[in-house]
Amino acid sequence: MNDSMLQPAEVWEALAAIPDPEFGINIVDLGLIYSVTCNEGDVTVIMTLTTPSCPSGGWIHEGVRAALRALPGVKNSRVELVFEPPWNTGMLSAEARRALGWKEEP
Amino acid sequence: MSGSWLATQGRLPLAFMGLALAWLAVATLLLAFSPGLLALPHVHPRVVALTHAWVLGFFVSVACGAVYQLAPVALGTTLASERHGWWHFGLHAAGVPGMVFSFWFWDLKLLGHFGTAVALGILLFSVNVWRTVRQSGRTGVVAASLVLSAGWILLTVVIGLLLAANRFWGFIPLDPAALLRAHAHLGLVGFLLTLLQGVSFQLVPMFTLGEVRDWRLAKLGQWLVQGGLLVLAPALAWHLSWIALIGAGAIASGVLCSAIGLGLAMASRKKRQIDIGLRVFLFGGIALCAAAIAGVILVAPGSPWGSAPGGFGAMVYAVLALGMGLLPCIAGMLCKIVPFLTWMRAYGPHVGRGRTPSAGALTSPRLERAAFTLQGAALIPLLAGTWLLNIVLLRAGAWLLVAGVAFFLADMLGVMRHLWRPELQPAPTSKST
Repeated sequence: MNDSMLQPAEVWEALAAIPDPEFGINIVDLGLIYSVTCNEGDVTVIMTLTTPSCPSGGWIHEGVRAALRALPGVKNSRVELVFEPPWNTGMLSAEARRALGWKEEP
Repeated sequence: MSGSWLATQGRLPLAFMGLALAWLAVATLLLAFSPGLLALPHVHPRVVALTHAWVLGFFVSVACGAVYQLAPVALGTTLASERHGWWHFGLHAAGVPGMVFSFWFWDLKLLGHFGTAVALGILLFSVNVWRTVRQSGRTGVVAASLVLSAGWILLTVVIGLLLAANRFWGFIPLDPAALLRAHAHLGLVGFLLTLLQGVSFQLVPMFTLGEVRDWRLAKLGQWLVQGGLLVLAPALAWHLSWIALIGAGAIASGVLCSAIGLGLAMASRKKRQIDIGLRVFLFGGIALCAAAIAGVILVAPGSPWGSAPGGFGAMVYAVLALGMGLLPCIAGMLCKIVPFLTWMRAYGPHVGRGRTPSAGALTSPRLERAAFTLQGAALIPLLAGTWLLNIVLLRAGAWLLVAGVAFFLADMLGVMRHLWRPELQPAPTSKST
C-alpha cells in the first residue's frame, strides 16, 4: 500500500460530511456507518438507518454512493444497507449525544 | 432504491400540503369576517360551510398528503398508484371550494355535483391506501389505522352525499341535525382521530429517537375508539342517549389509552430537546383528550350542556375539538412534514454531492413561536365567545387567529421557497483532493 492509495480514514471523513436531515447530525456520528473497507481503490461501506422505515433513508443511501464516487482514487464502490444488527442509541458518538441534549455520564 | 423513483418522491404530498395551506388562509379569513357564525347553531348552512372549509379544506388535505407520504415509507413499499393520487388531488382541489360555496349560499343541486367530485376523489384515495397496505403485507397498529381511517372517510363522504340528497328529497325519516352530528363524528373520529392515533406511534418515536416498548396500549386505544364509534354514530342518529354515552365513553377511554402509550414512548426518547412543532402537536393531543371528555358530558342523558336545545353546547365542543385539539395537532405536524418534504425535493438529490442543511434548519423558530403563541391566545376568546355568545370576544379571537395563521403561513412559505431557490454550498474539500 503506498501513500497515493485511498485510506479508510478519507472515506470516513467524506461520509462525515453527510448530515441526517431530521437530526442535523452527520451519519458517522449518528452511528449509521458500520464499516469501511478499502482495497486498492475498491471501497465497500456497510451502513444502516435509524429505522428501516426512515423516510430519508433512500436519499442518505444514494448520498453515500455519490460521496464515494466523488472520492479521488475510488475505482469501484459498493454500499450495503443492512438492518442486522439493528441501529440503537449506543451507536451514537459522544458528539451526537451532546447534540441531542444528553447529559454525559460522570 | 433507484434514483428515478426517489426523484418523484414528495411531489404529491407537497401538492396536498400547498392546497391545505391555501385552505388554512381561506378558512381563517372566513372566520375573521364572519365571527358571529360561532354563535349560531351548528346546523346553520354557513356554519356547515365554515366547518367544511376547515375540515375538508385544511385538515383532510393535510391528512391525505401525509398518508400519501407516510403510508409507503411506514409500510416499506411504494404507493399503489401515484396517478390515482393526482386524480384525487384534482377532484379534491376542484370539489371542496364548490362544496363550501354551495353550503354558504345553500345551493343543494350544486352541492350534489361538487360533493360527488370530492367523494370520487376520496374513493380513489381509500382504494389506493388499501392497495398500498395490501401489497406491503404489513399488519399492526399503523397499518390498521391506515386501513380503518380510509374506510371511515369513504363512509363519511357517502353519508354526507346522502344527507345532502335527503335535504332535497327528504327520504330519511330521521332528525337532520342528529344525522349531521353522526356524519361529523364519522369524519372527525373515524378518519382524523384514527389516523392520528396510529401514525403518532410511528412518527413521534422516529422524531425523538424513542421507542414503543409495549404496543398493547396503542392497540387497546385503537380498538376502543373503533368500537366506540360503531356505537356512537348510530346512537347519535337515532337519539339513543344512553347508548351514545357508552360509545362516547369508549372513545374517550381509547384516546386516553393512546395518550398514555404515547407518553411512555416519549419518556423513552433519546432526543431530549423537543422542537416547537412536536410540542404543539402534543398539546393538541392533550386538548383532544379534553374534547373527548367534553363529548361524553355533552351526550350524557339530561346534561344541561346537551346539544339538542339550540346547538350551542355542540359549538363549544366543536371549537374545543377542532380549534384546541386538531388545529395544533395538524399545524404542529406540518412544521415537521413540510420542511422534510421540501428538503427531500430541494436537497435530497444533493446529499453526498454538496453541503445540505437539515430539514429543521429550513424553518424559522421565531415565526413558529409567534404563530403558535398567537394561535393559542386566540382560542381562549374564541372558546369563551362561543360559550357566552359574545361577538366582541369572537371577533378578538378570530383576528388573533388571523395573526397567528399569518406568521405560520410566512414560516411555511419560507420553507417552501427552498423548492425554487435552494441554498446549496459546495462540498467540503477532502484533504486528498
